[in-house]
Amino acid sequence: MINRKVKWVLWGVMLILLTFYPKLVGPYFTNVFVHFAIFALYAVSFNLLLGYTGLFSFGHAMYFGAGGFATALALIHINGCSLLVALFMGFFASVILAMVLCPIVSRVSGTAFAMLHLAFSMLIYTLALKLRKITNGEDGVSGFPIPALNIPGVVSFDMRDSTNFYYFVVVVIGISLWLLWSFTKTPFGQLMVSIRDNAKRVAYMGFKVPQTKAMIYAISAGFAGIAGAVLALFQDVIAPDFALGPGTSFQVILITMVGGMGSFFGPIWGSAIFTLLQEFTSRYIKEVELLMGVILIVVMLYFPKGFAGVLALIGSKVFGQLPRKTTAEDG
Amino acid sequence: MIILETKGLYHDFKGLKVLFDVNLEVKEGERHAIIGPNGAGKTTLFNAITGTYMPSKGRVFFKGKDVTGSQPEQLVRQGIGRSFQITSTFSKLTAFQNIRIGILSKRGVRFNMFRYVDDMKDITQETDELLRRINLYDARDVPAGILSYGQQRSLEISMALATDPDLVMLDEPSAGMSKEETHYAVELIRKLTEGKTIVIIEHDMDVVFSLADRITVLHQGTILASGLPNEIRENQAVKDAYLGEMEE
Repeated sequence: MINRKVKWVLWGVMLILLTFYPKLVGPYFTNVFVHFAIFALYAVSFNLLLGYTGLFSFGHAMYFGAGGFATALALIHINGCSLLVALFMGFFASVILAMVLCPIVSRVSGTAFAMLHLAFSMLIYTLALKLRKITNGEDGVSGFPIPALNIPGVVSFDMRDSTNFYYFVVVVIGISLWLLWSFTKTPFGQLMVSIRDNAKRVAYMGFKVPQTKAMIYAISAGFAGIAGAVLALFQDVIAPDFALGPGTSFQVILITMVGGMGSFFGPIWGSAIFTLLQEFTSRYIKEVELLMGVILIVVMLYFPKGFAGVLALIGSKVFGQLPRKTTAEDG
Repeated sequence: MIILETKGLYHDFKGLKVLFDVNLEVKEGERHAIIGPNGAGKTTLFNAITGTYMPSKGRVFFKGKDVTGSQPEQLVRQGIGRSFQITSTFSKLTAFQNIRIGILSKRGVRFNMFRYVDDMKDITQETDELLRRINLYDARDVPAGILSYGQQRSLEISMALATDPDLVMLDEPSAGMSKEETHYAVELIRKLTEGKTIVIIEHDMDVVFSLADRITVLHQGTILASGLPNEIRENQAVKDAYLGEMEE
């Protein structure tokens, strides 16, 4: 029970830290945090496929980007589009795109799944570059209005203010992560790890495997879409290269693997590592992915469970107990 | 009443004929063993019945309904449970989770996303009960992949039974087991399948003759003989094709 108390204290400390963070570090690092949070959600949604269901995708950026573009376009083309509506547009756009691809991708796995995603994401990426009238080509959609968060008659927050936006992001991404975490704990979450382990047997236990995979896939896509939507709102620009390109698809793989795909929180650690690296090394080198790649090699060779695995190991040494043997915590 | 019936079942893999006009009848409540030399098509017959693949020709009837070519999950929901010759558990999940999947399926908990599975007390209780019956409660939280071989086989059989099927199809439950383990497995099967219909593929003749009410001999993809254990023991064609070899 001590463990549970420690947990609550840690959550409390984290909440207080999150509350006062903008005051402590100023607007620059507030924005760094927002960047971290966006990629954390993006990576966690990706890990739902990779770590939990065992589906490796080379094209998750298409959902990240679709969410971003949908939000940006909604804000441009819908007059008086509210902030939350714009956010949900991002979510739905990705879910719909996922539902279109579902009939094909939910019936394959392994290499076919990975390569199909490479193909589809390149297709979407190329479309985004070529459909200039809609996406403005390489430059992307920019300069759209960022509406204030209105609770009619009560209060209105200006989202162009970095502190306000920070709180908005903490709430949106916090809720999203909590939903995803809860999701992994439901019977449905149990099915995910079972499919990863032995899809054939899942069918012989009486479950429809393709349909189950399709649901997981759509949920994963939807939350990647939310991450993309927040990115669009954050930067007030969404460009194919940054949001949709193959680089973004690979980035999330790096983040997830370095963080540890065997655990729910692994990708969040990965995003933190990636963001910090980018922050402190971008003055010296341009390609942070290069550095991440080197780290990934080290991680793969010596810490196959990623940063989260290292933490679990340290935790077990400190608290003198074995890491919990639960479903997703080993992968 | 006949619970499972195949009519003129054929299956071939790209021209290689594996099943040839198989007409199998399994009565409700009986323990039906399928025996035959390696390569006789026993597992293929199982696969063709349980939806792994569509038979090339012929029909499969379960409880009088034509179920030819149904997906495995549809058959499970109608009451067919199946175990595998090659252990096919969820190796990284605990023994408890392995059984729980079956209990969830039996209770129809499929697309539930609004409750934590660990909070479902009735599911946990039922899973633990089954684990106790198969003597795996002590290994409850051990990943299936690192259980002993005998335990894995017990788990394999029990997973097929966790969905509470009316017809249980066991593909060589004693594969690779020692004498004692086999004995234990037979007792386990007897205990768990009381009142159920079972179809069992088995190589161990002691198991077959001690467990089965009825035996079908499959030879080169077709049924050589089918009858009571004594009839099979005395059948000259069976002796020539199969049993005779065993006594040498």
